[in-house]
Amino acid sequence: MKKLIKHIALIIFVSGLINNVTAQTHSKMEFSCQTCHACETPTKSNPCLIPCPREKMITVYQLPEQSPDIIVLDKMKSREDLYEPVQFTHRLHAEMAGMSGGCAMCHHYNPPGNVVPCSDCHSAERKREDISTPDLKAAFHRQCMDCHQQWSEKVECKSCHELNSSGKSAFDKQRKASERVHPPIIEPKKLVYNTPSYEGTLVTFFHNEHTNLYKFECVDCHQNESCAKCHDTRPPIEDENILFAVKHKKCASCHDTENNCASCHTNKETAPFNHKQRTGFALTPYHTKINCVSCHTKAKVFSGLSNDCNSCHESWGPENFNHSIVGIELSESHIEWTCDVCHDNRNFTAKPSCNMCHDEDITYPDYEPGERTK
Amino acid sequence: MGKQTRRDFLKVTAAIGGTAAGITALTPKQAKAASPEILSEDRMGVLVDTTVCIGCRRCEWMCKKVHGYDAGDIETYSNEEVFGRMRRPQNEGYTVLNRYDNTKNPITPYHVKVQCMHCDRPACVSACIVGAFTKTEKGAVIWDTDKCIGCRYCMVACPFQIPTFEYDKAIEPDIRKCDFCYERTAEGLLPGCVDICPVEALTYGKRRDLITIAEKRMKLYPDRYINRIFGHTEVGGTSWMYLAGKDFSELDFPKLSDAPAPGVSESIQHGIFAYFVPPLALYALLGGIMWVTKNKEKKSGEEE
Repeated sequence: MKKLIKHIALIIFVSGLINNVTAQTHSKMEFSCQTCHACETPTKSNPCLIPCPREKMITVYQLPEQSPDIIVLDKMKSREDLYEPVQFTHRLHAEMAGMSGGCAMCHHYNPPGNVVPCSDCHSAERKREDISTPDLKAAFHRQCMDCHQQWSEKVECKSCHELNSSGKSAFDKQRKASERVHPPIIEPKKLVYNTPSYEGTLVTFFHNEHTNLYKFECVDCHQNESCAKCHDTRPPIEDENILFAVKHKKCASCHDTENNCASCHTNKETAPFNHKQRTGFALTPYHTKINCVSCHTKAKVFSGLSNDCNSCHESWGPENFNHSIVGIELSESHIEWTCDVCHDNRNFTAKPSCNMCHDEDITYPDYEPGERTK
Repeated sequence: MGKQTRRDFLKVTAAIGGTAAGITALTPKQAKAASPEILSEDRMGVLVDTTVCIGCRRCEWMCKKVHGYDAGDIETYSNEEVFGRMRRPQNEGYTVLNRYDNTKNPITPYHVKVQCMHCDRPACVSACIVGAFTKTEKGAVIWDTDKCIGCRYCMVACPFQIPTFEYDKAIEPDIRKCDFCYERTAEGLLPGCVDICPVEALTYGKRRDLITIAEKRMKLYPDRYINRIFGHTEVGGTSWMYLAGKDFSELDFPKLSDAPAPGVSESIQHGIFAYFVPPLALYALLGGIMWVTKNKEKKSGEEE
């Protein structure tokens, strides 16, 4: 009997611990509580959730390998089920979703912690009180059709589920599909667009620069993209009516697409961005590792900085600058001096002078003020 | 739908006609269109989101099925060739989908479902000379096939040209149109098209809730929608309302003012029959012409 009580106590203790852990991770997320909760102190009994679709999106992340392989979508309640339930190849789709919005593509507005079943928010019955969110049947179809409509260009119910009356089943087809894996996406280096622009038809887009140099994350540009982004089999439609803004949307978040056409639209392919060529200031050897915005702090303004080191590093002196970083560890007799003793007028690009203390025959680089570290 | 047969109706009319023809002719007919006051605050409606519809045409199939027509094989409705031409509701299928280009994303075209809009102030109700049409408190505009005499005034009056006529029936042809699945909803079921729609492009609910939802969608996705709910105020408001991604005129929606349509049909009708003066004037004119020509004939006969 005692043992049993001990066991029960242990179970209660552990489950309490688990609950606490979830609660802690939930509240410690980097999102503001107000993203989902309308009141100041949400409780479990009254979470005062803001109804979906919320203006902001939060979501969970899980590795596709850890997610369920196949999910049978049979929770919908209908008077007469015309079609068989879909055997949804979840893992395959999770892998493919990695190319666009990740888990968030489908698991939108999912509070941090566990993955919430779709039916928690989307009613299994179409006839319902709260019609502000689509019902489960609609939620599934909308998610699927978003890609499948573009993918196959037509609406075929039986590509996912057969009619119950037909005696057939799409299950084997889906089983087979679940064994497939999408090959990894190779990031392009450079893309050249032939645009219908009147002057300068070519736009050279250096994809690698945007990811490596400008430190863009994939999702900064590739949000909610469907399979058709790559797998569109239709010929491109050159419709003049497609709004200018739509075409330039992604570039316009950083580039001035309204006035500065010629900076992208040219008559020949352009060379990769070179900081030295464009501005006269070489980023090597110290500045290649930092983000553009670390120096160009004004939003979207990338001009107007001086080549003079002091314009950014005015406060640097012997107390906070590790001189060995430039290749010479200053000797004890040199380490105390202020910078301008050797670097006249704090001009760090010119040759340092030793004349302040030494005779004229002592010059850099014949004599060095310390030990070379590289 | 109603219990009154055509025979009853004719009896009543004959009785009234015999005794009170002059009186009825002299009093302008009262507006038959439902006044806003008798409509329930909780009346139902449907919000059609043309940007969500995928054009599967299952609503067309279901409509035929629930109204007892031969709907055929559901899978044949995946045939997209029908989108090659604009279609209108038929007397054996009260709803159709039409396809329109989406210039924002050519891969996902817009689809517009066409059926009776179930106006709050319906012109058909007003135009029907035998009172076969009724606007129900809950929103549906229904008609009594037994009362219908086949005059087709409703077809002319409807600002959306919805009612159709069974021209192929020689005996007792009827008017046909979407009845908002009056019988199904009375049983607590959803309208057939709403029930089957895979993406819930058709949201069934209280009209006032639908307006709130539509406004929220437009606010949240300004790129997706143009800022207008068709049917919110048009012709005095309709039970079926639409959201769209491009201008409604490009989706073949008629340009309509907010004035209820019965205003137009009633003023024409009442104008023609006002205080019996125009018919009397017409008879007087015709009589005059007859008299003049008769005189002429007489004269010319005398001359010979």
